[in-house]
Amino acid sequence: MEEFKESRLASGAGELWDLATRAEFLDAVGDGSLPEEAFNRWLVQDYLFVRGFTRFASLTIAKTPRPGQSVLIGGLAALDEELNWFEAHARARSLDLSSALHPVCRRYADFLLSSAYSEPFQVLLAIFYGVEVAYTVAWGRLEPQGPYEEFIDRWTHEDFVAYVRALLALVDEHPHPRQQAMFNEVMRHERGFWRMTWEG
Amino acid sequence: MPAQPLHATLWNQNRALAEACLAHPFVRGLGEGDLDPELFKRYVAQDVFFLRAFFSAYALAAVRAMAGRGVVERLHRLMGGVLDELGLHEGYAESLAIRLEDIRPHPATRAYTDFLLRTAWTADVGEIMAAMTPCMRLYAWLGQRLAVSDLSRNPYREWIETYSTDEFEALAVELERLLDSFADDTAEVAAAYGYAMRCELDFFSASLAEAP
Repeated sequence: MEEFKESRLASGAGELWDLATRAEFLDAVGDGSLPEEAFNRWLVQDYLFVRGFTRFASLTIAKTPRPGQSVLIGGLAALDEELNWFEAHARARSLDLSSALHPVCRRYADFLLSSAYSEPFQVLLAIFYGVEVAYTVAWGRLEPQGPYEEFIDRWTHEDFVAYVRALLALVDEHPHPRQQAMFNEVMRHERGFWRMTWEG
Repeated sequence: MPAQPLHATLWNQNRALAEACLAHPFVRGLGEGDLDPELFKRYVAQDVFFLRAFFSAYALAAVRAMAGRGVVERLHRLMGGVLDELGLHEGYAESLAIRLEDIRPHPATRAYTDFLLRTAWTADVGEIMAAMTPCMRLYAWLGQRLAVSDLSRNPYREWIETYSTDEFEALAVELERLLDSFADDTAEVAAAYGYAMRCELDFFSASLAEAP
């Protein structure tokens, strides 16, 4: 995952990059010691987050010129499939997916949607990339093993990494002066999200 | 007995948050005149960022209302009120040497503006009015409460007088009337009003915290 760390936006984010992609929650997933309660909280809140992110992705696709849309449309289809996957896991664990958004998650979703409507597509691409790259790098620090192997594998799979690489290429193709500031906002929200999953 | 108008119900439901704002050290510092000028400077800068989003939210509400000329004129008047406030802030910025183009929003400011703009773009007009009313009603209330003290030697007198005028009260009432006519007494409307009030309190707290 070094290629992502060295990319323009990640290196420009400074210490925020590490803060967003390392978390006690993930360490506990990696060594199998994660409390069930924290995992369930993550699963519900991540599902609700992805619902918001799907709307963000749709609006970004609408604003992005044609050649760049393909990668994003592929990403949107994967998000739809991911929602089904979350729903199946939630059913298996008898979790209520209609629960309220945690305030931290809500601020993240508000940020995504207000940006989706207000910002130009170049900035939205940087946000899009930020959300996906943070996830693949954060999970990529773990070995796919133990009780949460399926989850680790999901965001470290080579297809997912190739998709994130394509997003990065798209961002680099369409630079914008506000990309870094908004990418940093994503990193702050990612940090807050991981702390919420751990601390409740 | 006629039912209480919705704006009054919502204000009463959130009365504890309004009282918490009045008792907040930042607001007390304004009222007593001993607030650290550096904190006021930071607050003004954040408020400029906020007011720009607040103005946009009115504009989006006007687009979404698709209503007759009367409603649009009322929203237009409210937008004029925001422009006056921004003008006042630009005056402060000049005297406090704040470079408005360098403003970086505090996380609490961003949380509030992201919420406002998300609501303005995606919710119906009633919910937009519910998200916007707390700011206007709270400031009118705070201004009027602080104005009962002797302000002759208070360096924040101009700020307090701005929000305690009859003109500002009239704008708050105007917005509350729009809320009453567009919003239904739903969970979403109550949630938007309550969340905005919570954001107001967080905004004062952020003004005391470290600069972003």
